[in-house]
Amino acid sequence: MRDDERFEAWIAELLAAPEHRDHPLHEALATLFQRYQEQVHQLERVARISDRYQSLEHERSRSLAERYRRQLRQLEKIARISDRYQTMLREVNQTLRELSIRDALTGLYNRRYMLERLSTEAALVQRQGTSFGLAICDIDHFKRINDRHGHDAGDQVLAEIACCLHGSLRDYDVCARWGGEEFLFLFPETDSAAALAIMERLRTTVAELCPLIEGSPLALSISAGITEHRAQDAIRDSLRRADHALYQAKHSGRNRCVVA
Amino acid sequence: MIDLNIAGTSSSPAIVSRWAEGTLEMRGDSYPENSFELYQPVFDWVKRYLETVERPLTLNLYLLYLNTSSIKSLMDILDLLEQAHGEGRPVAVNWYYDQDNERVAELAEEFKEDCSFPFAIIGYSPC
Repeated sequence: MRDDERFEAWIAELLAAPEHRDHPLHEALATLFQRYQEQVHQLERVARISDRYQSLEHERSRSLAERYRRQLRQLEKIARISDRYQTMLREVNQTLRELSIRDALTGLYNRRYMLERLSTEAALVQRQGTSFGLAICDIDHFKRINDRHGHDAGDQVLAEIACCLHGSLRDYDVCARWGGEEFLFLFPETDSAAALAIMERLRTTVAELCPLIEGSPLALSISAGITEHRAQDAIRDSLRRADHALYQAKHSGRNRCVVA
Repeated sequence: MIDLNIAGTSSSPAIVSRWAEGTLEMRGDSYPENSFELYQPVFDWVKRYLETVERPLTLNLYLLYLNTSSIKSLMDILDLLEQAHGEGRPVAVNWYYDQDNERVAELAEEFKEDCSFPFAIIGYSPC
């Protein structure tokens, strides 16, 4: 039995004893005891209510913490998935970019890329006061190959020549399929004499190519027009100059290079 | 409950719900201007279905690209399914992907990670 209970039992016993009933302090003690019991009861109630508040608050903060952790986990997951989608898109973009600048048949850069590249290089030489070499080459009598051996053979010739041209260039030279059987070359920081030397080498390599078409070797040749694009030149003029030189190469017998 | 029949656009998926069959299908890319506006009715439909009927619910997904807010919306819907599954309801997801695009399957795996209900990732051959 607890002290409090023992104390209460003792007082109750005193108050109940018949010999104390007429004692002058009996009524005072009875009143005091009653008030004491009310106070204790009140105190217990307050404590009980306060405990309940506390446990509610505790519960609330626990569920908030749980919710916070769940949200955080979801957020991390969203970010991770979103990043992966973005990586996927970036890769698709790169593939599309690669497809948009390449010629499907030859694998060389296409005209669109070359135009971009020409204007970039032109801006560069303008700023630096330097120049670059430019060459247009064309497969001689290509129409005849198509007519005699069919378009598949024509495509094969284009692909073989493209491969040969591309393989003979320096890393920083750019070669593109400019039109049907026309190729355009850009030689950075190269004057027309050096560009001529490169094109002569390419011309010789193509002449030695002799690919097998329908089982028999076919002699091929290219003609080229070469020019130098200088700081003050307009791209359009340089292209026209190279084109004109190509025209001259064709008209003076083909299988040759002309510098303009 | 009225079924959903939302036509797809180039930036939002086609969404079709069938209350009687207990299926919800979403098909296409999802990067709408306002994902929450698009997916709120879908969320509500799923919630309502799960609260109203005892029959199974199956989500058939043919989703390709999802932007960030669409990912969030879809995860909220999957959370509803997870909760229902916890209460013993038969729910399932079938995520279909073109076999030529294995990436979509990898992303579906990410969504599947926290789900304990049946979640199938099914490749199909493009025709």
